Amino acid sequence: MSLLELRNIYKIYGDLHALDDVSLTVEKGEWVSIMGPSGSGKSTMMNIIGCMDKPTKGEVLLDGVNIAKESAKNLTGIRRDKIGLIFQQFHLVNYLTAVENVMLAQYYHSMPDEKEALEALDRVGLADRAKHLPSQLSGGEQQRVCVARALINYPEIILADEPTGNLDEANEEIVVDLFHKLHNEGTTLIVVTHDPEVAEVAQRTLVLRNGKLHKEVINQNFTGKIQFEDRQEVQPHA
Amino acid sequence: MKRSSMYLRMITASLMRRRSRMLVALLSIAIGATILSGLVTVYYDVPRQMGAQFRSYGANLIMTGTDGAFTTEDMAKGLAAVPADALVGAAPFRYENVRIHEHPVVAAGTDMAGAMATNPFWRVEGEWCSSDGQLLVGKQIAESFRLKTGETLTLSYTPENTEAAEDVTLDLTITGILDTGGSEEEYVYLSLHDLETLTGEAGTLDVCELSVQAQAEELKQYAGQISNAAPGISAHLVKRVTASETTVLSKLQALVLLVTVVVLALTMICVATTMTAVVTERRKEIGLRKAIGASDKSIITEFMGESMLLGGLGGILGAGLGFVFAQQVSLRVFSSDIRFQWLIVPVTIAVCIIVTGLSSVLPIRSATEVDPALVLKGE
Amino acid sequence: MFLRMIRGTLLRQWKKMLMIAFTIALGASLASAMLSVMLDVGDKMNQELKTYGANITVVPKASSVLNDLYDVEGDTSGTYLREDELGKIKTIFWAFNIVDYAPFVSTQADLPDGSEVKLTGSWFNHHMELPTGETLDAGICSMRSWWEITDGTWLDEQTMTEEHSAMIGAALAERLGIHAGDTLHVDGTEAALDLHIVGVYDAGGDEDEQIYAPLHTTQTLAGLDGKIDSIEVSALTTPDNELAERAAKDPSSLTVSQYEIWYCTAYASSICYQIQEVITDSVAAPVRQVADSEGAILEKTQLLMILITILSLIGAALGICNLVTASVMERSSEIGLMKAIGAQNGAVSGLVLTEIFLTAIFGGVLGFFAGFGFAQIIGHTVFGSAISLKPMVIPITAVLVVLVTLAGSIPAIRMLLRLRPAEVLHGGH
Repeated sequence: MSLLELRNIYKIYGDLHALDDVSLTVEKGEWVSIMGPSGSGKSTMMNIIGCMDKPTKGEVLLDGVNIAKESAKNLTGIRRDKIGLIFQQFHLVNYLTAVENVMLAQYYHSMPDEKEALEALDRVGLADRAKHLPSQLSGGEQQRVCVARALINYPEIILADEPTGNLDEANEEIVVDLFHKLHNEGTTLIVVTHDPEVAEVAQRTLVLRNGKLHKEVINQNFTGKIQFEDRQEVQPHA
Repeated sequence: MKRSSMYLRMITASLMRRRSRMLVALLSIAIGATILSGLVTVYYDVPRQMGAQFRSYGANLIMTGTDGAFTTEDMAKGLAAVPADALVGAAPFRYENVRIHEHPVVAAGTDMAGAMATNPFWRVEGEWCSSDGQLLVGKQIAESFRLKTGETLTLSYTPENTEAAEDVTLDLTITGILDTGGSEEEYVYLSLHDLETLTGEAGTLDVCELSVQAQAEELKQYAGQISNAAPGISAHLVKRVTASETTVLSKLQALVLLVTVVVLALTMICVATTMTAVVTERRKEIGLRKAIGASDKSIITEFMGESMLLGGLGGILGAGLGFVFAQQVSLRVFSSDIRFQWLIVPVTIAVCIIVTGLSSVLPIRSATEVDPALVLKGE
Repeated sequence: MFLRMIRGTLLRQWKKMLMIAFTIALGASLASAMLSVMLDVGDKMNQELKTYGANITVVPKASSVLNDLYDVEGDTSGTYLREDELGKIKTIFWAFNIVDYAPFVSTQADLPDGSEVKLTGSWFNHHMELPTGETLDAGICSMRSWWEITDGTWLDEQTMTEEHSAMIGAALAERLGIHAGDTLHVDGTEAALDLHIVGVYDAGGDEDEQIYAPLHTTQTLAGLDGKIDSIEVSALTTPDNELAERAAKDPSSLTVSQYEIWYCTAYASSICYQIQEVITDSVAAPVRQVADSEGAILEKTQLLMILITILSLIGAALGICNLVTASVMERSSEIGLMKAIGAQNGAVSGLVLTEIFLTAIFGGVLGFFAGFGFAQIIGHTVFGSAISLKPMVIPITAVLVVLVTLAGSIPAIRMLLRLRPAEVLHGGH
């Protein structure tokens, strides 16, 4: 059984078909990118996978449970247990320190455990920044706290929405490396992005256009690292 | 680590690290609490404090003999029936007909200190009598006989019960002219001792005026106690003073009450709007917490806990400031310490917690109903 | 464009703006209610204190000194005041402040059981049509408000059916066994009359041993037609100060300007002086017991209200300040955007301030009327009369609203202007 299965889902706002008959299967341990221009429906899809929205029509099976039929209250529980979210805007609680932000997820999930939270920060390379407030951290560091928060409860899926959208290249690479590490540990990753470089790292890239699955690209030479050949500096002609 | 300690850690972090915002809210709650505790304290203390002011109207209780004159012992017994801290002043009076330059005049023997305390409205040009051998002359008498302070005046008295045809005379120094605008201006006042010397008869009184700090009901009770304690005396209320005092004081208290209610209602609405604003500001954070898996219940518990903690802190601060305010009012207006009702402290804190809690619960509820995806995406 | 932007904010953000307007309205209503009550409380309490009775007595200049309670000689010879001059009291400079007055004339009369009684003639509820067109019901019905009617009713001069009615003191009535509705024969110094007893009163004083009858009845009994002994006047007065005390001793010691001030202020002494001017051969003097106490109590009440008002004004000011600051801060992203697209600091602050001020004016006007309404509720509930609108409440409330709005918004705006647009727009919270 697949970990996540979307069967012919539609999301319709009035006349607008944000998602139009999309089907998708993600296996456990897979690293999948979802790409597409603005308005292609990728945010809608991300919200549906993240249990923050329900499709107008169709089935969403997460671990064999059809979340399209669950109540809002149950969705919160499913989200808490199975999904780790990473946002473009980081969304850290600004008055809690890095470690406290991680513990917040533990708190809502089960028991806060400061040691474990510190270990998670260590994994993202922020052990020494644990007591800092978000405002004292750089964008990359904030996003790494976000990653630590997302993985603290051992979710089935880590769902990242434009995780590198607000980051410079150096931090982008650090975050993608973190994803690679998680992938190697067997975590399922779904990354929504419009940055081809980030998308192409994944094993599989789905491209959405106008609410429909436009094409699917399999990464033949998957390494889990960003390929920088496209970025070779162009020498200006003299 | 326990969940409860993380809960406390989050709430204190929210209060400590969002200091400026929280201070704004705390300030607003503290203002509300100050007004609550300050005005309520003043409201409760107004009758007592104002009652003291009303004593400037003079005696409100009068003791007279059940049949004619009564003795000084009776008076002492009667006075003992009134609590010492409520008694503002007591002035015994004994009236006798005497003559000045062969004209009949009423002389009143009294205790000068007592008369001064009982009748604060008596104005004396010159000095009050401070010892025996001195005389206070009513303004009209002074005008009729062209008397001036410092002069010596001879009072003559014809004993009633003796055969002796000889008049008794006593020379007294006029220390002051009494101006009251009332009938007191037609008497001369001397010490009880001098009058007893003049008449040769000691220990009897006609009337004793009491100025007691109490409301009509309480006064009636005292009057009953006096009559019981000293059978030779009957005590009754000076209706003009007591009835009017009740009327005016009840109006005044109603005024302060209504003002307190209006001010409180408006301030509490102000506190409520501030709390609403404080919570509404944090919709995004609530959305985030929902997104990472917080149930509505736990969000409400956290934010309410925070609001109510804030309410409690503001309440404590405000109760203290309110006391300072009430004390200032009391010192400035009445020049005396306020009597603080300690019950007001817990009530103020409780009201603050309830108001902040109630005013946060609605915006928190509405924030939890919002789709986390929308909140996180928006702006 | 400026106007369009403002209109845009007001229309689109009407909820937030309504909240600001609401808070400002609350503050303004608090200010105007408290100020109105505070400024009027003196007059209102003054009216209430009238229950203590007269604060000025008028007696003939050459009245016999020794004719009072203790009944020294029973001598009523001497000069009298003239009844026909009574109306003049309502024509003095401070006529408006004279709320009540009553003439008195007393005489001794013999009762059927041979005892002698003091009989006092006065107005009960004497109806007067004043030259100003006003009407006034003056007399002891209102000036002896502490009298308790134990039997029967107050004597009503206006509907009196019997020619000679009277009220009798409780102690005397008990001694004589008389009740309301009975007739009592009294033998005065000049005439004898049958008095119809309308009511029995308990005054808690010497009056309980006396009989009160209408002025004319007593004058007939004593043969004193057109003559009165004294007048008691109940006037609204300003508490005495040093000037008033000096004037009371000797008005001629004042300089011309001091005299003007004194004469045109409602001090008890200046009202006395003015009464003396219109009543021939009279001496008017303040009743210290009432006049002085009134002054003390009025002063305390006003001070109390002033302090309460100050507290509530501070409360209202801080409350509004708070909310205005919070709501300006909330708009950080919008202000960041405006700066990002090239708005100057001045333009941004101008826009925000204009919006806030339009809201504040709206809220302030609304609040002012609401507050005046609150004041009326207080006035009617406590004093049973309307609180008059003092013109100075309007500017004070307006200035307060403006100052508080400025104080609330300027620091917030300055703080927002210091932010770099990128920071604000990039979602750093």
